[in-house]
Amino acid sequence: MSDVTSTRSARSRRGRESTWRDAVLANGSVVSIALFFLAVCVIFSVATDAFLTSPNLLNILRQSAPLLIVAAAMTFVITTGGIDLSVGSVLALVATLSATLLQLGLPWPVVILAMLALGALLGAVQGYFVAYEGIPAFIVTLAGLSVIRGVALLITGGYSIPIEPGSPFTVLGRAWLFGVPAPALIALAILAIAYIAFNETPFGRYVTGIGANAEAVRRAGVNTRLTTLFVYVISAAAAALAGIIIAARLGSGSSNAGQGFELEVIAAVVLGGTSLFGGRGTIVGTVLGALTVAVIGNGLILAHLSPFLTPIVTGTIILIAIWLNFRLFRGAVRSG
Amino acid sequence: MSSGETYRVRMSGISKRYNAIQTLDDVSLVLRPGEVLGLVGDNGAGKSTLSKVLSGAVVPDAGTIEIDGTLVTFNSPADARAARVEMVYQDLSLCDTVDVAGNLFLGREPRRRIAGISFLDKKRMHEQTRQMLDRLGIVIADTRLKVENLSGGQRQSIAIGRAASFEPSVLIMDEPTAALAVAEVEAVLDLIRTVSARGVSVILITHRLQDLFLVCDRIQVMYEGRNVAERLIGETNIEDVVNLIVGRKFNARSAANAYRDGAPA
Repeated sequence: MSDVTSTRSARSRRGRESTWRDAVLANGSVVSIALFFLAVCVIFSVATDAFLTSPNLLNILRQSAPLLIVAAAMTFVITTGGIDLSVGSVLALVATLSATLLQLGLPWPVVILAMLALGALLGAVQGYFVAYEGIPAFIVTLAGLSVIRGVALLITGGYSIPIEPGSPFTVLGRAWLFGVPAPALIALAILAIAYIAFNETPFGRYVTGIGANAEAVRRAGVNTRLTTLFVYVISAAAAALAGIIIAARLGSGSSNAGQGFELEVIAAVVLGGTSLFGGRGTIVGTVLGALTVAVIGNGLILAHLSPFLTPIVTGTIILIAIWLNFRLFRGAVRSG
Repeated sequence: MSSGETYRVRMSGISKRYNAIQTLDDVSLVLRPGEVLGLVGDNGAGKSTLSKVLSGAVVPDAGTIEIDGTLVTFNSPADARAARVEMVYQDLSLCDTVDVAGNLFLGREPRRRIAGISFLDKKRMHEQTRQMLDRLGIVIADTRLKVENLSGGQRQSIAIGRAASFEPSVLIMDEPTAALAVAEVEAVLDLIRTVSARGVSVILITHRLQDLFLVCDRIQVMYEGRNVAERLIGETNIEDVVNLIVGRKFNARSAANAYRDGAPA
């Protein structure tokens, strides 16, 4: 009897220890991006008077809502080992089409639903080629990037299409609820759903599994193709939601909206610690990554530095953050 | 052959040809309940193909399979699984970045429904995993550890434990002790004993002949797609088995055939 209890306690002691170590190592990437985010915030709080004020912080949230939403969805795509380069183009097409449809007199709820459905459809088409035809996601969504932006340009002839300022549609981008901008609330809801779906549902588990060893998940009887297709549906639908929010906030739909948006999104996800090779993803990290990107852009402007510094600083930080990740945390996992 | 005894598995006349190469030529195999059968042979002897026929991954050109006396046809691994035949693949089929419990329950996670949406029931999953590991004597400190942080032997144990958890009547293992440290081989062999003691019939494919003598009841030797010998473990020794595997190679009609047969191992 005492023998059994002693082995039990020995086991649980070892268990606690490895849990602690495991937690640090597993969340190393999140810890490092959190430190980066804090450092950036502290620097701008000290360097500028305007940064650490609630109007500015709320403004950052409002402006980064589309980035947060799409980055959360992109985390699923990248965790399967895929990529979606078409999100900026989907955003532009949805922004222009929603403005066009509102001009045609369609009621705004219909427009929103139709646009979300369009996004899901575009994602399903691309996901089909990735999951069922086995074409690399990079190629499929690069084609998507080109074609979808092309359609947006064709529809508008390159002009931006205004949305009537009185339309309730603009509420999505401009309204404030409980002292918080509506886009930020939408983003918060999406992030909560993404976090739960990623960590607490079988779907999220299979997304991680597919990135780690798709064949193992397939042998376990999971429909891996449908799961893979579905992550592209999610990312394109999220891009559509971002397009709606941007059109509503700006009061117009421009076919040039969201140029380079896909790179910003991918940067946020990778900065957050999600592996481009798949199998490793974190929604918390993605949120911190997206906020870091947003804060850098905002802070540089408040510091009266050239806005053209933003991509330089962002790019440098991405490289340093990921280098630290590889050196400090990946290395530790390997040797441990 | 049919002495009235009902075998757990009885394969007879199994043949499989890949283009010019006769990978399996009229092979038979019998397996009794709770028995551990060592399947040995040189590379390309057809032991992997034979085990894939039994696990449904390869459909034979000819031959019959009986499970517990009932004639079955396996066209896919799902068919074999339905007949309670499980296979532990050499590449283990584990997801490195998923934890121990997640790998054991991959594809059949305990769920709880909240508002019509199914969520992972992680608490139940970890509890059941702990029970399962304890029952099989697999020593892993924490079911929340990611599989990538485990040793080779622990990974192998998870893969076997996973297959065993489907309550199979037949468990096929392809090279479970290859590339393991000495102490880890012992643990895996212990696990094989535990599983077979629970009434599971085991087919063990291995190149490590010393392992055969530690866990097997019987050895079947294959050579160039045919059965060449069957020995009860008490009636043979390592030299005998080595001679059976290799010895005839030099007496064979042509060594060239043996090399060509090496392809679809």
